[in-house]
Amino acid sequence: MRTLRVWFQKRGPIRYISHLDLMRTMTRAIRRSGIPLWYTEGFNPHPYMTFALPLSLGMESLCESMDIRIEDDTGEAQILSALQSAMPAGIEITAVKVPVLDPKFIAFAAFDVVFEDVRDSDDFYDKANALLHRDSLVVQKLGKKGHKKVMKDVDLLEHLQSFSLTKDGELLRLQLVLPAGSTTNVNPALLCDELLKLTDGALYRITRTALYTKDMELFA
Amino acid sequence: MFNKEIEKILPLVQKPARYTGGELNSIIKDKNAVKLRYAFCFPDSYEIGMSHLGIKILYDCANARDDVWCERVFAPWHDMEALMRERNLPLYALESGDPIKEFDLIGFTLMYELCYTNVLNMLDLAGLPIRAADRTDLTPIVIGGGACVCNAEPMAEFFDLLCLGEGEEVFDEVFDLLETAKAEGWSKKKFLQAAAQIEGIYVPALYDVTYHNDGTVAAVTPHDGAPEKVKKLVISDLDRVRYPEKFIVPFIEVVHDRVTHEIMRGCIRGCRFCQAGFLYRPIREKSPDTINDQCKRLCDVTGYDEISLSSLSTSDYTQLETLLDKLLEWTIPEKINIALPSLRVDNFSDSLMEKLNKVRRSGLTFAPEAGTQRLRDAINKNVTEEEVLRTSRKAFAGGWTAVKLYFMLGLPTETLDDVAGIADLGQLVVNEFYRNPDKPKGKGVTVSISVASFVPKPFTPFQWEPQDTREMLLEKQAHLLSNIHTKKINASFHKVDISFLEGVFARGDRRLSKVIEYAWAHGCKFDGWDDSFHFDTWMESFSACGVDPLFYTSRRRSFDEVLPWDHLDYGIRKEFLIREAKKAYESKTTPHCRIHCAGCGADRLNGGKCDAHA
Ligand code: SF4
Repeated sequence: MRTLRVWFQKRGPIRYISHLDLMRTMTRAIRRSGIPLWYTEGFNPHPYMTFALPLSLGMESLCESMDIRIEDDTGEAQILSALQSAMPAGIEITAVKVPVLDPKFIAFAAFDVVFEDVRDSDDFYDKANALLHRDSLVVQKLGKKGHKKVMKDVDLLEHLQSFSLTKDGELLRLQLVLPAGSTTNVNPALLCDELLKLTDGALYRITRTALYTKDMELFA
Repeated sequence: MFNKEIEKILPLVQKPARYTGGELNSIIKDKNAVKLRYAFCFPDSYEIGMSHLGIKILYDCANARDDVWCERVFAPWHDMEALMRERNLPLYALESGDPIKEFDLIGFTLMYELCYTNVLNMLDLAGLPIRAADRTDLTPIVIGGGACVCNAEPMAEFFDLLCLGEGEEVFDEVFDLLETAKAEGWSKKKFLQAAAQIEGIYVPALYDVTYHNDGTVAAVTPHDGAPEKVKKLVISDLDRVRYPEKFIVPFIEVVHDRVTHEIMRGCIRGCRFCQAGFLYRPIREKSPDTINDQCKRLCDVTGYDEISLSSLSTSDYTQLETLLDKLLEWTIPEKINIALPSLRVDNFSDSLMEKLNKVRRSGLTFAPEAGTQRLRDAINKNVTEEEVLRTSRKAFAGGWTAVKLYFMLGLPTETLDDVAGIADLGQLVVNEFYRNPDKPKGKGVTVSISVASFVPKPFTPFQWEPQDTREMLLEKQAHLLSNIHTKKINASFHKVDISFLEGVFARGDRRLSKVIEYAWAHGCKFDGWDDSFHFDTWMESFSACGVDPLFYTSRRRSFDEVLPWDHLDYGIRKEFLIREAKKAYESKTTPHCRIHCAGCGADRLNGGKCDAHA
């Protein structure tokens, strides 16, 4: 039995499925692929499968990973192609490797956001830039207090590690790095929703592009 | 796929994956390479629709043709609908994202009466006139299928065609005819007249209904060459009919998320209240080899880890043990569960019990339907108290601690003693648990009693019966509760208002079309959902339209009254139904079809063949 980390992208309409749905989808895909998955012992055996860091509903990603356990020493390349052929549209397996880091070391995530259908892109660019350069931007965020869900204030800009805003014709592109992982997590949609208020009729698409440790080392 | 305007509202709605398509095994074709585009609509939420076996079968059959692209459409939930209306976004099909208004054929599955307002709402959301007469172009043609079609008269004004019976074969002819009509530029009228000649197709507009002064139907008269009686089309050999090789696998959790396999059609039991038991006759079994192969293939392409063997009464499938042996051979190593809903208690042999222990241990359910033997005899539910207790005893010895019992209130000939009998039977099951020496230590028993209200349905021996009023049903519910003396029994009841409305439409006629339209226009939709059901609006709709709902529910019809569905032929003879009704009044049973063919008449649709008689 050995543990492998399966790297995949999640793009297109499948971005609208939740983390729970993704787990179910992956379980079925792995069953279809016929790879020799290792099952837990006991009354209700289930496959071992853990995801590095859940992705919010609605986001695309280039850097998702899940760890699975397989029973024998089938090669990584063979597993990759078996998995790929069983995946639904929108899931692309990019690599199958031996894990290097424990997911608990994930501390930051990088995102790429594209704004489309912006009415006046120059105006939006200026306003967005100004907003991102403010000292603080406090919004309400659903958080937990013990077991209860409560609204909490967060200062998004305080958490923003770095960003770059560029304009390419009518498209506006925002790249940013925010805390992610088990200690602090800031959803980039909170910031994008604020930016969206500066224009109307527009939409944004968020892609998670990379995960990092606290020393900005790439999660692998 | 969906367009950018839809993409803008997806982040604002619950469960956006209901509206995106793209699931595994969904079918994408080149729209320019097909001759017909067919929007297959299920007038309920995605989760309900995607659980329905019929939609999977018909989706597969239609798409098996290269010249047809069949896509799915579900009723958008309230939040999505509000945003779509606010932004003028028309109803679209999941596969292409194209507005269904542009399609050639729009089909609705009518599985229950309470989805009727959703049909209107979906047509309206598509940007189409809801009334058939107001849709004057040849396309889109709006067609309905499913169990309610046996009396969809209340919906007659909205549909162009209704498909009686088993769609796998009828639809092919409809596709062919519509292709010809399109190619040759026929008028809608010409198409409808030609469609009426297809066996199993009913064109409501070609029938005039007249009424007596007392409100009952005087006559239903066909014109323009439509047949006197529209006959249901049955498939004679289930082994040979196409069964999907693939099921779409939803991303989000739906009600039934597994491989479902229909192992037989029809039911030998002849319970007098059960419409499905008569409508899907004659009895046709599928062979264990076919079922086994198809299940295996479906599990391989879906990755599902559960198979449900479905039919109206699974333990009446003659080769159940053979089938289970075949299935268990590969499902055990592949860690796949087998679920067997609709198991009856009486032929639960020891060896079957043993095999069931290998499959998933789900709850133990019985459906005695009535509380006393007298009433069970009257409804021909041949389950005895002794059988219920014996099976419970075995189950308790096997470690079960929860039993669910299904009953109905308001059955014909029911008295308060029969009602109290429900509580008594529950108590006997509880006692049986405590009498069992091997009962699991330290555990109590729960007996759940689920009580529905009886709704008389067309094509059953009870189609002439008055339905209990809401007041009578509430009184019976209270009487039942007052007879339960233990906390081990918990009872739950269906809402009587919902059953009442279901009753109005089940045996309704065309005059109800305006009521449905009024109620829909005043906000009724998703009526089958407790939270969305507005009884007051419905009552207001009846009175605004001058229609007395009690005329449809509370009236005893005479055997010689012309019924709104008399021009539809499901094989079942009226004389047979009358004979059964009279036996019910005397609490006399009719043996099941394998003991003795009761001459229901359904075999006539199948060239005299029925798997239950020689
Ligand atoms: S034809 Fe006879 S055996 Fe067949 S379903 Fe009807 S009554 Fe039963």
